Amino acid sequence: MTGPDRNAQAAPRRLRSVVRAMIWATVPVLLLVQLFASAGVEATSFWSQIRQLDARIARTAESRAELIAEPLWKMRYDQVTGVLNEILHDETIAAAAVYDDTGVAIARVVARPSDQVAEISRPINYRNGNIAVQAGRIAIAYSYTTVYADTGGRLMLLLVVGLLATLATVVAMRISANIFIGKPLAAIMSAIQRSKQDGRAYPADIRSSNEFGQLAQAFNAMQHTTSGALDRLGHMASHDPLTGLPNRRSLTERLVTLSGDAGSPDTLIAFCFIDLDDFKGINDTFGHDAGDRFLVHISERLRESVEPQDWVARLGGDEFVVIRPEVSNEATAQGFARQLLDAISEPVRLHDKQVVPRASIGLAVRRAGDPELSHLPALADIALYHAKSKAPGTVAVLDEALQRDYRRRRDLELAIPAGFAEGQFEVWYQGQVDLDSAAVVGLEALIRWRHPDHGVIGPGEFLPLIERSGNNARLTRYVLTDACRALQRLAAAGRPDIRIAINLPPSELADHSLAAELRATCARFDVAASMLELEITEGSLINNIASASETLHRLRRLGATIALDDFGTGYSSLAHLRRFPLDKVKIDKAFISEIPDSAEDKAIVGVIASLAGTLGLTLVAEGIERAEQAEAMREIGVTLGQGYLFHRPQPLAAVLQGLEGRSVESRVRSPSIAPEFAA
Amino acid sequence: MTIFLRILLAVGMACGVLASAGGIHAAAAKSLNIVFVSPGKTGEVYWDMVAQTMRAAGRKLDAHVEVLTSERNYRTMQELGLGVVARADKPDFLILSNEESAAVPILEAAEAAGVNTLLLSNTLIGEDAKRLGPPRQTLKTWLGDITTDLQTAGARMANALIATARAEKWQSPDGKIHILGIGGDEITPASIARNAGLKLAADAAPDVVVDRMLFANWTQSEAEQVTANYLGWAARKEIRPAGIWAGNDPMALGALRAISAAGLVPGRNIEVVGLNWSEEALREIKAGRLLLTDGGHFLLGGWSIVLLRDYADGCDFADASPRVEVKTSAITRANLGSVGDLIKTRAFDRIDFTRFRAKAGHCGQYDFSLDALVSSLALPDGVGD
Repeated sequence: MTGPDRNAQAAPRRLRSVVRAMIWATVPVLLLVQLFASAGVEATSFWSQIRQLDARIARTAESRAELIAEPLWKMRYDQVTGVLNEILHDETIAAAAVYDDTGVAIARVVARPSDQVAEISRPINYRNGNIAVQAGRIAIAYSYTTVYADTGGRLMLLLVVGLLATLATVVAMRISANIFIGKPLAAIMSAIQRSKQDGRAYPADIRSSNEFGQLAQAFNAMQHTTSGALDRLGHMASHDPLTGLPNRRSLTERLVTLSGDAGSPDTLIAFCFIDLDDFKGINDTFGHDAGDRFLVHISERLRESVEPQDWVARLGGDEFVVIRPEVSNEATAQGFARQLLDAISEPVRLHDKQVVPRASIGLAVRRAGDPELSHLPALADIALYHAKSKAPGTVAVLDEALQRDYRRRRDLELAIPAGFAEGQFEVWYQGQVDLDSAAVVGLEALIRWRHPDHGVIGPGEFLPLIERSGNNARLTRYVLTDACRALQRLAAAGRPDIRIAINLPPSELADHSLAAELRATCARFDVAASMLELEITEGSLINNIASASETLHRLRRLGATIALDDFGTGYSSLAHLRRFPLDKVKIDKAFISEIPDSAEDKAIVGVIASLAGTLGLTLVAEGIERAEQAEAMREIGVTLGQGYLFHRPQPLAAVLQGLEGRSVESRVRSPSIAPEFAA
Repeated sequence: MTIFLRILLAVGMACGVLASAGGIHAAAAKSLNIVFVSPGKTGEVYWDMVAQTMRAAGRKLDAHVEVLTSERNYRTMQELGLGVVARADKPDFLILSNEESAAVPILEAAEAAGVNTLLLSNTLIGEDAKRLGPPRQTLKTWLGDITTDLQTAGARMANALIATARAEKWQSPDGKIHILGIGGDEITPASIARNAGLKLAADAAPDVVVDRMLFANWTQSEAEQVTANYLGWAARKEIRPAGIWAGNDPMALGALRAISAAGLVPGRNIEVVGLNWSEEALREIKAGRLLLTDGGHFLLGGWSIVLLRDYADGCDFADASPRVEVKTSAITRANLGSVGDLIKTRAFDRIDFTRFRAKAGHCGQYDFSLDALVSSLALPDGVGD
C-alpha cells in the first residue's frame, strides 16, 4: 500500500482525543445534573413560595376582614375602601373587593390587571357586645407573577452559575486531563513516533508516580526490551547467522555509502565476487554440517587475510564479497584478489580428511565517482561467470570483452521465448556414413538458432542459456518433433532405413515422461521409435545414475537406440559402458583430429574399438575431415563415421536432395555456417 | 320683613321691662356672681344657646353670668377655670362641663379655694366618679350636677317612629318594622345614653328590628352617607325601611337628604327623628319631612341659674338630690308653633325663669317640662306688658 493511499484511508478516522472524549462524556451529564438539581431545588422553592404567598394572602384577607368588619357593618364604605386600598401596597395583589351580606361589592380596588390570578375569599365577621354576624366577605385576587419572576430569575441565575461551574469544570478537567493524561500520552506517543521513524526504541519521558508513570515505566521497560530485540533483529537482518559476516542486505547499504566514504571520486574501489567451486560436492560428500563448518572456515580466512578497512560479506550459499575501498590500480586489485584465492586455497580438515577449497573470483574495479558503483556486484558477477565457465579457480577481471559477452548472453537469454514463438530454432542434419560403403546410414539432428540480429548461433553458445532458462525440455521436444517429421519425409523419399539421432541434455534423462512423449510423437508421425537414436553424455549419467538408467531402459524398450556421445573426453568410464543399456559409442573428435599423425590417439581409439567390439557396441568416429582419417578409422575397425569429409550439417531439404542425387559431399553446398560445437 | 322688625322691637322692650323688674326683685336678696366656663366654641349652637339661656335666667334672677369660652380646647378650659378659682374676687358659683373629664382639676382647685361649683350637662364619670364619689362628699364645694335624661329622649324618639310605622303599616315582608339608628359616637355619655334609649324602645317592641346602629360623628354629611348606604343595602335585602333614628338634628337632616336621593319621600313612606331642637329641624318638621326633634337641653343653662338662685336663697336643690336630671321634650308638628319662634329668635328673655323656682318647702322639686316652658313664655309681641 502506498503512502497517499494510507493517508486517504486514515483521513476519515480523525484522531479523537481522550481528553475531549472525557469532556464530551462528562460535561453533558454535569450539565444535566446541574439543570435537574437547579430545577428540582427551584421547583421546591417555587411551590413553597406559592404556598407561602397563599398563606400570606389568606392572612392579609383575614386581618383586613377584621379591620373592615366594623366599617362594613357600620356602612362606612369609604373607610372600607380606604382599608382595602392599603392592601394594594402588597404588589402581589392584583385586586380586592369587599362584599356585604347581600353579596354586592361595597368596595373594589384594582391595582393591576394580571393573567395569572388566584383568588382567596374570607368572611367578614362583625361582633360587638350584642351581636356576632357575618357582615360580608372579602375577596382578594393576587398574582403569582412575582413568584414566577423570582423563580425565573433564580432559575436563570442558577443556570448561569451552573454553566459557569460547568465551564470551570471543563477548564479544570481540560487542564488537569492535559497534565495528567494528555501529556503522558503525548510523551508515550512521541516516543513511539520517534521509534517508528528511526527504528530505535526511545523511552517516554514521564516522571509522575501515578498510573501513567507506571505505564510509562512499563512502556520504557518494553522499549528497552524491544530495543535489544530490534538491535538483534537489525543485526540478524544485516548479518549472516552462520558466519557472522554482513549479508546481501548489508552489501546494498554498503554500496550506498561506498562512494561517500571514499576520499575522492577518483579513488579506485576493488570489488571481489568470490564463489567457491564445487561447494555442492563438499555438501554431498561430507554433509551439510561439514559444509557449514567449511563456510565458516572460509569466512574466517577471508577475515584474517584482509586489512581493517576492507569489508567482507557472505551473500549466501558459497558466495562471498570482499571490498577493498582503495586500491592504486587494477593490477594491485588483481594481486589482492589472488591473495584471497591463496588464503582460501589452504587445505581444510573435514572429517579427518584434507580438503583443498577452490574458488573463482570475479573482480571489478571502479572509480568511487562512477555512477554505476551500485552495479558493482553485477559487474563482478559477469567476471565471475567468466571465471567459472572458462577458468574455475582463477581470478577474472571485468573488462570490455567480458561485458560485451555478458550483454550478448543476456540478450540471447531474453530472446529465447521469442525464438521458440517465432520458430527461430532450426534443426539441421548431419549424415553418418558407413565407412566401408560411404552410404548414409543415419543423421544426427543438430540445433541452430537463426537470430534476427545476431545471425545463426551455434548450440555451443546458446544451449547453456537454454538450460539455464529451463527450456531444455521444450527444445528437446522441438528437436524430437522435427526429427520425427524428418523420418517421415525420409520414408516418403524412399529411405526409411535412415535413422536419426538426437542429443538428450542431462536434465532430460531425469524426466520420466520423456519415453511416453517420444512414443506419442513417433505415433503422431507414424514412425517407428527404433528409427530414433538418443545421444547422451557421460556427465549426464554420473549426476543421476539411477534415474538415467531407468529412462534409458524405457527408451530402449520402445526400440530406440542409445549412443554415448563424446566418449573419451570425460570419465570414459568402462563401468558405464557395461552398466548402461548402450548401443553405440561415439568417439570424440579430439581423438580423431590428430589421426593419423598421433600414434597415441590411434592407440586410444584402437583400445576403445576393441572394447566396443567386446561389449557389442557400435562405434562412431566424429569429426572426420580428411580421407586418411576415414581410412585410419576403417583400419582400426570403426564402422561408422561422421564429419565434414562426408556431410556438413544441412537443413533437411538439402539432405534429402543429397540423398536423391546420391552424390556425396561434392554436390552438397550447405550455407556457410558456424562450426559445430555440440555433439 | 316689617313684621319681623316689629317683633324684634317688642322683644327688646319686654326685656328692658323684665330686667328692671328682676333687679327690683333681687334687690332684697344678694346679687349672685356666676362664671361659666364653656367647653364649646364661639358660634357652636348648643353651647351658645346654653350661655344665652344662662344669661337670660341671670337677668331674671339677679345673677351676673360671666361666660368664658374654651374654644373646644380642654387645656384652655382648665386654664380658664383655674384662673377663675385663683381670682381674688372669687365668684359665687363656677359652672363647668366635664367634657373629656377636663373639669376635674378645676373642681379640686375650687374646693381648695372654696368656690362652689356645679357641673352642667356632663358630670364625673369613670375613675373620677369613683374617686370623688357623689357631690358634696369628697368635694364639699361641688354642689351637684344638672344633666338631661337623654336615654328617655332616645326611647321617646324611637317610640314615635315605631308608633308611626305601626300606624302606617310600614312592615317589611318579614312582618317587622325595620329601623336604622344613627348615633353620634360610641363613647361619649351623651351619645351612649341616647343610643341606649333607642335600644330600650326597640327591645320592648318585638315587631321592631334595628337593622343597624350606625355612627356618623354627629355630622350631617356622614349621616347622609351611611343612610344612603343603608338604604341601598335595605333595598338589596328587600327590607322596607320604616324609620331612621338620628342621635341629633344634623344627622337627621343628613338622613333626610339621603332618603330624598334614594327616591323616597320622608314623612310619607319613611319617618326620621332627630334631637336638638335645631332651627333646620324645626323647618323640616314644619315641612312635614321630619317627624320630631327631641331636646331642649340647652335650657340647662337657664335651669342651672334657677338651681343656684334657689341654693343661694337657702332652698337647696340637694334636698331632693344633688343630681338634677332634666327631661327633654319633643317638638312635633303639633307643638311646633309654641316654641318654634322662641328657638328661631333665641328670645330667651321671653322665658320667665322666676316661675321655675322651687316652691317654699319643696326645695329640689322643679318642673322644667315643655308645657311649663310654654306656659312661662311671655308673648313675643310684648303683649305681656
